[in-house]
Amino acid sequence: MKWMQFLTPAKSLDYKETEAYIAEHPSDSVTLLDVRQPSEYQESHIPGAVLIPLPELTDRLGELDPEKPTLVY
Amino acid sequence: MLAGKGFKQVFNVSGGIKAWKSKTAIGSQDLGMDLFNGKEAPLDILKTAYSLEQGLRDFYLTLEKTAGNQKVKDLFLKLSDIEVKHQRSIFTAYHRISGLEISQDEFESRVETSALEGGLTTREYLDLFKPDLDSEKQVISLAMSIEAQALDMYQRVSARIPNPESKAIVLKIADEEKAHLASLGKLMDSL
Repeated sequence: MKWMQFLTPAKSLDYKETEAYIAEHPSDSVTLLDVRQPSEYQESHIPGAVLIPLPELTDRLGELDPEKPTLVY
Repeated sequence: MLAGKGFKQVFNVSGGIKAWKSKTAIGSQDLGMDLFNGKEAPLDILKTAYSLEQGLRDFYLTLEKTAGNQKVKDLFLKLSDIEVKHQRSIFTAYHRISGLEISQDEFESRVETSALEGGLTTREYLDLFKPDLDSEKQVISLAMSIEAQALDMYQRVSARIPNPESKAIVLKIADEEKAHLASLGKLMDSL
């Protein structure tokens, strides 16, 4: 079962699809997750993105709602 | 990683931020958070949001006076009118929730304006974006940047507010900013 996390493929959305997805859903119904470093987030991020740098992601998953669609970059 | 941890729907944004062509937000996760302590009751949220709209309206009206081009002047007036509509909607919500018999002018006199939407000051926005105030496109671009920053701030604020009613108000305002951003995009495309 633990292998699931490495094997489950995530769908990709390109820029246009992402923009449309965000526009079509209320702000509270989608998580936009930025997994870059804080300095990169500070320089520029998609409005509304939550920052959890990749190295911290495993420990901080509890901060996210697994029921919501999650768009990651 | 997420899909294997029980997340129902996970999407990769292909190309990441480099492929993102719409407006982005800047700053740390804490930018603008000093405007909200997270413990606000719904009425406090509305007061702060109203003051931010007021700050932006004043900003557009100040720039309107300095612009030389009549089309740009008209555009600034149009942008300030949109903020007036936002303020009206916020005041209506305040009136409904508080049940107070209070005029909008009286309400306005009770709120303090310290920053613009998005948590940056007038000077910070101008220094950051350095718009050509004679170009309609650059003025709309500036307005879109401010809306993107506001949308970002309200969404970050919503995550820190435990009161469900206050949270719902912040999210509603965030969605209004999102719609405003989209309409400015259409305006830009029409030029």
